[in-house]
Amino acid sequence: MEVVVQITFGVIAVFILVAAAMVVSVRNVIHAALWLIACFFGVGALYMLLEAEFLAVVQVLIYVGAVSVLILFAIMLTRQITGEGVRQLTNRWPVVLAIATLLFATVLAPTLINQQWNVPPAPPLGTPEPIAGPAELGRGFVNEFLIQFQVVGVLLTVALIGAIVIAYEERARRRKVLTLAEELELKRLREQTSPTVPAPVEAEPVVQESRSASER
Amino acid sequence: MYDILQALINGTFGWGWPDWLIYLISSLVVVTIILVVAPLQMLFFTYYERRVIARMQDRIGPNRVGPEGIWQPIADGVKMFTKEDIVPEAADRIVHFLAPCVVVAPTILMFAVVPWGPGMTPVDLPTSLLFFFAVSSISAVGLMMAGWASNNKFSLLGAMRAVAQMVSYEIPAVLSLIAIVMIVGSLSINSIIEYQAGLLISNRDLPGIPDLGLGWFVFTPVGFVAFIAFFIAALAEGERTPFDIPEADSEIVAGYMTEYSGMKFGLFYLAQYVLNFLLCAITAILFFGGWQGPGVNWLYAQAITPTNPDGNGLFNVLAGALGVFYFLLKTYIFFFVMVWLRGAFPRLRIDQLMDFGWKFLIPLTLANLFSAAVWVAFTRWGAAEGMLITVGWSPVLRWLAAFIITLAINIGVYLWLTQVYAASQAERRRVELEELSATL
Amino acid sequence: MLNAVPLPAVLTLAAALFCIGLFGALSRRNLIGVLMGVELMLNAVNINLVAFWRYFEARYITGQTFAIFIIAVAAAEAAVGLAMVIAVYRHYVTVQADEIDRLRG
Repeated sequence: MEVVVQITFGVIAVFILVAAAMVVSVRNVIHAALWLIACFFGVGALYMLLEAEFLAVVQVLIYVGAVSVLILFAIMLTRQITGEGVRQLTNRWPVVLAIATLLFATVLAPTLINQQWNVPPAPPLGTPEPIAGPAELGRGFVNEFLIQFQVVGVLLTVALIGAIVIAYEERARRRKVLTLAEELELKRLREQTSPTVPAPVEAEPVVQESRSASER
Repeated sequence: MYDILQALINGTFGWGWPDWLIYLISSLVVVTIILVVAPLQMLFFTYYERRVIARMQDRIGPNRVGPEGIWQPIADGVKMFTKEDIVPEAADRIVHFLAPCVVVAPTILMFAVVPWGPGMTPVDLPTSLLFFFAVSSISAVGLMMAGWASNNKFSLLGAMRAVAQMVSYEIPAVLSLIAIVMIVGSLSINSIIEYQAGLLISNRDLPGIPDLGLGWFVFTPVGFVAFIAFFIAALAEGERTPFDIPEADSEIVAGYMTEYSGMKFGLFYLAQYVLNFLLCAITAILFFGGWQGPGVNWLYAQAITPTNPDGNGLFNVLAGALGVFYFLLKTYIFFFVMVWLRGAFPRLRIDQLMDFGWKFLIPLTLANLFSAAVWVAFTRWGAAEGMLITVGWSPVLRWLAAFIITLAINIGVYLWLTQVYAASQAERRRVELEELSATL
Repeated sequence: MLNAVPLPAVLTLAAALFCIGLFGALSRRNLIGVLMGVELMLNAVNINLVAFWRYFEARYITGQTFAIFIIAVAAAEAAVGLAMVIAVYRHYVTVQADEIDRLRG
């Protein structure tokens, strides 16, 4: 039984690390986002292995279902969709790599492994162990963690409003999407008046196309 | 399944097999059943939808292959298999290949927690309802992958629309579920079903009601509003008319499926119909009692269960059959309603869809959440929780008070919201007309 | 799990994930890539919290509660961060962090 758990843990760990390494190294941003989703899944599986069932489901619901979709949306809204051929790492990436590796190899890993953790002895296999489940969590949120819970609620509301305000584009600045007849009319007018009128600033096309539907 | 196999192999036959073997066999049997049943439901649903929509449009529908065209879906499946699988030149091959898998896998996974009858849940998780919705949100990623990997603007537009719609309608869906979860006090689908025993009134709210398996949530004001909101959200999540803009064929060809052919297209089709089945099923489970119905609980009380190990195995089969019958009947009725809506309504525009979701459904479900809290406070709380008004009231009086107050809240909020919503829509139309006349 | 996998193994995995995330956050040019690195780091922290919860005090909820708060904060961070990315893109027409070097709009 223990061997099965060890193998499962090993597979999950390798999966998480490979996916994470791909996230930071792949050229294509969309591929990086997809690897990020794979990494979230791996972390969810690890929670499942650690018997934090509720957290595993929440991980899938929030990270895979919401955050990664948000990231994919943002990538697609900011044109250079694939990023192929664009340099993805800064010039200083070898330095950063060295720092990260050193941090792991000389500080974190030795400390974590050499530290004497006073882990309470695990009960022998087969004995039921009291583990806090969703019901206890819910009770905790309305008793001991009430203030924190409400602060997080306020934070989420603020973030929601803030995100809307930041990404909001004023009505007047949005480019109208014209029908073909209107466009020709406009072109004719422009040619008549002055040939030097600058064309309206081209912004990202995807945003406008999705906007256009809501403009009509 | 494990109990039955355990009783059958080690009890009746006395073979004394080890536990892990029985566990393995029962898992394999359950997985096989799910993998067979899911595509069969999809085949039936395509046939069902085509026949019903044909009837509504005064046609006959598929009627050539087999008696009344019953083998039509199989013929379609054969056609799908034999078609050439085309991958566009400029597509991202790996992602293009993975996308249908990522869309199909969650829909099959969702079957893991759907109870078909009493004691017939494949996996009885304590957080099964959350699991169901968490897994259903994965398919949005698959749609995004399909839309992007096809390298086609119609695909990308369709995927963007589909994901925007799914993400925004997940909120009212989950909010309306939370109302139910609050009343039941559990995230397990099984306990939600068990709560709905009774006759028009759940016998958990009002002990002493005869158990006919009809204490459905839809008969309470909270449950009714939650049901309406959830069903509308389910239409949007399942991309059904009037919310089928992601694959509006008159606007953007076939949406994210444009560049798919052969069996990959078939997989998208499969995922869609299986998702529709699951959404109908979960509606039936949450608001219409799932397998609850007259007689099921009586039969199941005499069957072999963990609490009643020396029951009669025959009653297991009878209760299961009756439960599955009720469950599928309800599910098919909901699918009929979906097809009916398709026959009756035109497609919404994306801005109407978003406005309706964010400005009408979400406030309504939030108010409904408040009603659910009132319901719990009146029916269950006592002096210990600080609810001093109801101390000394009889259960009937408590239930009546809860019913009237939540009804008043819900009707009031509904009327107020319809007014506000209509006013905001009129204002918006006026502004748009002004802008239009200014530009021309 | 408790007998089979020692606590340092889980913690080392989390540390490695954190360092990978750190590398991503510091070396990616794309703003969205930076955000993805931050998400990886937050996940690593969460693994740590859940591991401590499981190994030390499984009957209490503190560890899980912390992890849930972090998930909520990460969701808020992603929403605001990506909104900022879109706003920046609208203004500068680029999302490469090192090309956005003007202090005045």
